[in-house]
Amino acid sequence: MSLESTVNAERVVITGATKRYGELAALDDFDLTIEPGTFTVLLGPSGSGKSTLIRSMAGIERLDSGTIYFGDREIAGSGLHTAPEKRDLAMVFQDYALWPHMTAQENVEYALKRRNLDTSESNRRVLEALDRVGLSSKGANYPFQLSGGEQQRVALARAVVGRPSLLLFDEPLSNLDADLRERLRVEIATLTREIGATACYITHDQSEAFALADNIGVLRSGKLQQIAQPEEIYRNPANRFVAAFTGTSGSFVGQVDSLSESRAIVALGKVNIECRSNQLLAVGDSVEVLIRPSATSFTDSGTSALPAIVLDVAYRGRGYEHVVECEFGTISSVFATQSVARGSKVQIFIDPENCLAFPTQG
Amino acid sequence: MAFGTGQTAHDRVPSSFKPGEFRQLRQFRRLFGRVRITPMVVFWTLILFILVIPISLFLLVAFSPRLLGQGSQWFTLSSFTPVFSGAYGKALFHSLMLGICAGVGAAAIALSMAWLVLRTNTPARFLWNSTIFALFLAPSYLIALGWQRLFEERGVLEIMGLHVEPIRNLLYGPVGICLVLMVKGTPFAYLVIANAMRGLGEEFEQAVRVHGGSRFEAFKVMANLLTPSLFSAMAIVFAEAISDFGVANTLSNVAHFPVATYQLYQGINSIPVNFPVSAATSIALLSLVVIAILAQNRALRGRSFRTLSGRTRPATMMKLSLFGKISTSTYIIGLLVVMLGIPVFGAVSASMLEGLGSLLSNYSINFSNYSRVFHSRFLLNPLIYSTEMSLIAATIAVALAAIASKVLTATKPSKSKRFVDFFLLAAVALPGIVFAIGYIFTYNLKFINDIGLHLYGTSILLAIAYSANALPSTSRSLVGNMGQIQESMMDAARVHGSSGARAWIDVTMPLIARPLLIAWLLTFSGTLLELPVSELLYPPGSPPVAVGIEISLAGFDYGGGTAIEILSILWALLVVAIAFFLFNRFAPPGWKRLGNLR
Repeated sequence: MSLESTVNAERVVITGATKRYGELAALDDFDLTIEPGTFTVLLGPSGSGKSTLIRSMAGIERLDSGTIYFGDREIAGSGLHTAPEKRDLAMVFQDYALWPHMTAQENVEYALKRRNLDTSESNRRVLEALDRVGLSSKGANYPFQLSGGEQQRVALARAVVGRPSLLLFDEPLSNLDADLRERLRVEIATLTREIGATACYITHDQSEAFALADNIGVLRSGKLQQIAQPEEIYRNPANRFVAAFTGTSGSFVGQVDSLSESRAIVALGKVNIECRSNQLLAVGDSVEVLIRPSATSFTDSGTSALPAIVLDVAYRGRGYEHVVECEFGTISSVFATQSVARGSKVQIFIDPENCLAFPTQG
Repeated sequence: MAFGTGQTAHDRVPSSFKPGEFRQLRQFRRLFGRVRITPMVVFWTLILFILVIPISLFLLVAFSPRLLGQGSQWFTLSSFTPVFSGAYGKALFHSLMLGICAGVGAAAIALSMAWLVLRTNTPARFLWNSTIFALFLAPSYLIALGWQRLFEERGVLEIMGLHVEPIRNLLYGPVGICLVLMVKGTPFAYLVIANAMRGLGEEFEQAVRVHGGSRFEAFKVMANLLTPSLFSAMAIVFAEAISDFGVANTLSNVAHFPVATYQLYQGINSIPVNFPVSAATSIALLSLVVIAILAQNRALRGRSFRTLSGRTRPATMMKLSLFGKISTSTYIIGLLVVMLGIPVFGAVSASMLEGLGSLLSNYSINFSNYSRVFHSRFLLNPLIYSTEMSLIAATIAVALAAIASKVLTATKPSKSKRFVDFFLLAAVALPGIVFAIGYIFTYNLKFINDIGLHLYGTSILLAIAYSANALPSTSRSLVGNMGQIQESMMDAARVHGSSGARAWIDVTMPLIARPLLIAWLLTFSGTLLELPVSELLYPPGSPPVAVGIEISLAGFDYGGGTAIEILSILWALLVVAIAFFLFNRFAPPGWKRLGNLR
């Protein structure tokens, strides 16, 4: 059963948003545009400002300066702060935020009050939403009678039942175990696209971000570092922070030996490895080489192979992930279908396509 | 730029006005342009007028008599000189000593009871909780009067032919006064210590034992973890004891053992009233309470153990032997007899003795005193009047307390939070008698009357004073529950279409429905039998029930006085029972579950 798609998705434009808590700038002259009907994930570590941003969009926080537009409507600006209930949005909270004195059905129904529907239509939509998240038989249950995953499903049903033009997700999966996270992630992805709303989702988990997003925005210290499609973020990170935060299995410091187009040969002691770089580099520069997990594999020989010793091995079902130590540091997530014993001497091949060089900081 | 859907003119702050236009309006807007009449503005205005201004003005007069027309000096400390010498000094010292003894004694009793009730299977533990609730409801003067009726000359026990003079001599002195204050303080101490002990799972004890510690060493660790709550309990009972007016006005007065609150009362009843000295005494009394709270904070610095977590496992009950069960039950029942049994027996027996207090030698046991109460408007009207006042005061106090506790539990630090916190804490420490004198002083000031506020001697002022007096403790009682409400639940209501007020009604109110009801009932019961504010602020010809009892006793109508006492308590219990019945019968199922839910 799918929900009817009658949503008028809106473009969200945030310009110069600033929010300070005392000396700390949670948002610092922040700009962001989210296209209507797209699913944007804002990715960043703790303290990067992503929660402040999504709460400002919801109207729970008030910006110090800057503007927010939903479509043509200015909802936050100089001296203007539209109340949350007037923004026509819905939100899924990290801690579910279900009201414990209401049943699951009443929780979902609450979000329809603003639509002024007649009782039969309201009931139909509530049951439809609960059915869509697989909880049609648990509408009469109170939140304490539901598991964590079920509670978050009710919160999801509550968010979509009113067919808001904007859906906000505040780290909705972070309180759930791995299996539930994956299942609920799929539900969020399909349900949100089904109703066609503009979606903004915040997380600190890069795998969640890549799995869900049409676009990913990476935040750091209240500033947007890069916003692009997931593939672009992964292949061409704008800076070292974006690269590091979107998944690496190790990093080494070396010197640029030679340059050709977008490639750099980096000398790591006696070994040269080839990397990609979108940065301005010169021969002799000190660089940090960031290695994506998909870049590494065991090899028998090769001039650019790194000699290493296996420190640890972990069985992952499809095969084995190894942690190896070489002269320049540790590399994790070296995948092989056969395990290599701890303490074995090995050669590691590094694929230049998934290996990125950035000028060393300082 | 046009306003979008859902925006109102109120959402936008006015930018400027054309020069020369609407001069007065501009001046007004400069002052109040940003102020809208919101529930919070109303709340702050009320807090200012019922709490901050009356108390501040009264305390200020100790330093600046001339500012408020009470003397010739703009600034002086001379008002404090008599406070630390003569009768005032002696009374203050008595209060201090009584406070310390009551604090230590009540904490010791509470600790033993908390351990017996929560950690053992002693059979008598089930009697304790109802005793605690009854002691909460009973004002200290009623406990004192119960003892007095039994042991006084020609009292109940002497009429029964018992020789009680040695006990009377002990009771009518510091030992008896301390005993009553200790009894009254024990419920407060018990709640603090029991709450801490409930959060103390058995894992701490087990950790000591599995790492080689003996049972005694495990006990030492437990005692250490409970230290913060013991300090808190002692500080609370100390503050309650030195602020008490009920015992001061009854047992302490009869025993000629003056305490500070009674000295203040006498000062305010002397002619001419010396407000600066009364204010200075109040400041001294308030300082003692503040010192106790500060000492407690200092003692607890770095020792506030966070023992409660989601992983805390409830401690297992110690299974007592037959001898253990008998001895602990005897201890509990003995305490119950002393704390509640004797005063209740004293009051009930006195209320049923016809002719008690008179010089007659013939006494009979019957219900004539009760009959007189129902047929005499002098006896019954105070109860009716107090009920009306209590209904109003409890409703106002709980409404304001709900807002105050919301402000206090806001996660973001704010000036308003600090302000409410400071004043409510200061007001909790403020003895009722000081509060009442503050009202007398402020609402008799010339400029207050000049602006048309002729409230002194009216029921309106009494209702306001009752509400303001109950507000600090009621707010504190709601803070814990309010603090348990995750802010995201209110946020969720707002983003899913509810206004702030609507979200409050739909989410916050149901979530704290039971604590609100309990707070209302405690405020109602407390106000019904309240003494110091009633004594000093009741309108002429309309005495509240506490004053009605006093008047009867002063006229040696001990039977009639105690009959009103008993009826008042029964009436309070009946209201509590009805309220709980209605709540359990008619509140939606989700509301009743609260307390366990987050």
